[in-house]
Amino acid sequence: MTKKSVWKWVLGAWLLVVIWAAFFYAPSAKGFKGESARIVFFHVPQAWVAVLAFCVNLIASIRYMRGHDPLDDARAATAARLGLVFSVLATVTGSLFARVMWGSFWNWDPREVSIAILLLIYAAYFALREAVPDEERRASLSAAYAVLAFVTMPFLVFVVPRIYWSLHPDTIINVRGSLDMESRMFQVLMGSLVGFTGLFFWLYTLDVRLARVRLARRRREES
Amino acid sequence: MGGVRIDFDRIVKRFGSRTVLSNVSGSVRPGGVVVVTGPNGSGKSTLLNILAGALRPSAGTVRYLDGGNEIERTRWFERLGVAAPDMAVYEELSALENLRFFARVRGVDAADDRLSALLERLGLLARDQRRLVGTYSSGMKQRVKLAQAVIHEPPVLLLDEPSSNLDQAGHEATADLVARFRERGAVAVATNDPREVAWGDAQIQLSL
Amino acid sequence: MLAKELRSELRSRVALNAVGLFALTTLVAVAYQIGPYRIHEDDRPHLLAALLWIILFFAALSGLARVFVKEEDAHTAKTLRLAARPLAVFGGKLMFNLLLLLALELCIVPLYLALMGYSVIGVAGLLAVLLAGSLALATTTTLVAAIISRASGSGTLFAVLTVPIALPLLVVLIQGTRAAAGSAEFSEVLPALRAIISLAGVQLVASLYLFPVVWHD
Repeated sequence: MTKKSVWKWVLGAWLLVVIWAAFFYAPSAKGFKGESARIVFFHVPQAWVAVLAFCVNLIASIRYMRGHDPLDDARAATAARLGLVFSVLATVTGSLFARVMWGSFWNWDPREVSIAILLLIYAAYFALREAVPDEERRASLSAAYAVLAFVTMPFLVFVVPRIYWSLHPDTIINVRGSLDMESRMFQVLMGSLVGFTGLFFWLYTLDVRLARVRLARRRREES
Repeated sequence: MGGVRIDFDRIVKRFGSRTVLSNVSGSVRPGGVVVVTGPNGSGKSTLLNILAGALRPSAGTVRYLDGGNEIERTRWFERLGVAAPDMAVYEELSALENLRFFARVRGVDAADDRLSALLERLGLLARDQRRLVGTYSSGMKQRVKLAQAVIHEPPVLLLDEPSSNLDQAGHEATADLVARFRERGAVAVATNDPREVAWGDAQIQLSL
Repeated sequence: MLAKELRSELRSRVALNAVGLFALTTLVAVAYQIGPYRIHEDDRPHLLAALLWIILFFAALSGLARVFVKEEDAHTAKTLRLAARPLAVFGGKLMFNLLLLLALELCIVPLYLALMGYSVIGVAGLLAVLLAGSLALATTTTLVAAIISRASGSGTLFAVLTVPIALPLLVVLIQGTRAAAGSAEFSEVLPALRAIISLAGVQLVASLYLFPVVWHD
């Protein structure tokens, strides 16, 4: 048990370092208004985690459809919950950044739209779950929806921009995607990515452990 | 089709916090009629639904064995004929059209005279068979439901309150149907009607 | 399956009415307010393509869930579930939705073009986009319809679930329509067309695996 709690503190410390580094270690980015670029250190990892959660949800959903193990359903729901939170964060931070940089909260940049749609998918996922009282059915239906949504996402992320943006070239995507960052900024960004991923897995594991205990208790009550 | 048997073991079904079925076991075998009885709300229909594969149990197993081979759940329906109060037929079609559809969809002979004969045996007159089911009385609708359950001569029959809405003649026609079925296949009936309970050689009693 | 669906529908006409009426009302409202003259010349290609698909999409949302919801409401779903192979059910319902959509477009699109003064140069391109788009839209909505019919069956839930998945499709459809309207060169429409067809293909394959899960639980 002590080994696990150590990781918790390591994670906490790591994130604190990342936050400090985001403000003090990394230099100001050129060409960005003031210090606004620093939000990227949080925004990108949040978006990344939102997508990661989606993948975890997909795997859990597929596993549920094969084995009908209620724990897989719990895993899927947990991942989706975290995904929802992080996609909200990502959308909000992205929107704030857009406001500071370009003066408006929304710009229809394809990446912004993808994250917003991911948010809608998570919201829809939970709306569906709320509408089904029977547990086994709820699990099957939400798993099916999750897979359908996942299958559609690549089109939004990869195909649509290619078509849409070929008619509307925009510098936003270049600025966002540019990798010619200073090495220190890159370090902080990577560090933040690792930190947020760790955060996700920590929260995820906690929730799944809780679900496991609940399921075990219920099984005991039955027999 | 040969003999198909259903074995079910320690079935549990929960709806939210309510446990409707708790550790129910038994088996439905060819040549016999199993009757499931119990007060309203004791889970008779739920058990039948689980045996039919329409619901998944929260715990426990249901196995279909066809001559020793186990059948997977997605193919149970091929061997089943089911009639239940919550299973309707299409009201915007006539009885004949309904049967024609179900026969075709199950891949059996959909010749009108065969279908018509079946309906008559169950007490639905020829002149009514072409009217839309929406215009039928509940007794007539019940007869169409029963017809749809047996049109493909399944090895297993699951009936939930089969004589409901039927008059004495209808009840006798149903009893006749069940009697003929038990020779070839397995039958399970969920009911509170004492006349139907009398059909059974084995009983499963459920409690609240 | 399809025969049964068609016969049922022609007798009751509920879906036809819902979808048709909705589309007609929206169209008239739009045409009246906006008409051929109110949109600025530069904006015309974008807006006209977008509005057309908005009308079609919302009309679809109002009617395409019926194939499954009516079965659940009438309690025939369970009877069907215990009688037919899932893929036969899906195929029949998908075909029905597709035909419904195509019939809708047959009526609405010419009306729209006329009322809005929308001149389309690449007719072949437009037809291709409409066909492919209908297939894609029908595939998405049919599976989601199956899902919600086993949930609460409400139209709101149907819309909530369909919108995130259909949004990329809509964008590409509008894109393709614009390309078709603006040029007689079929190649202009190709990128959008490829995207639509591959999206439809992917969703169709996914539905073939997912539908039995949804149907049988």
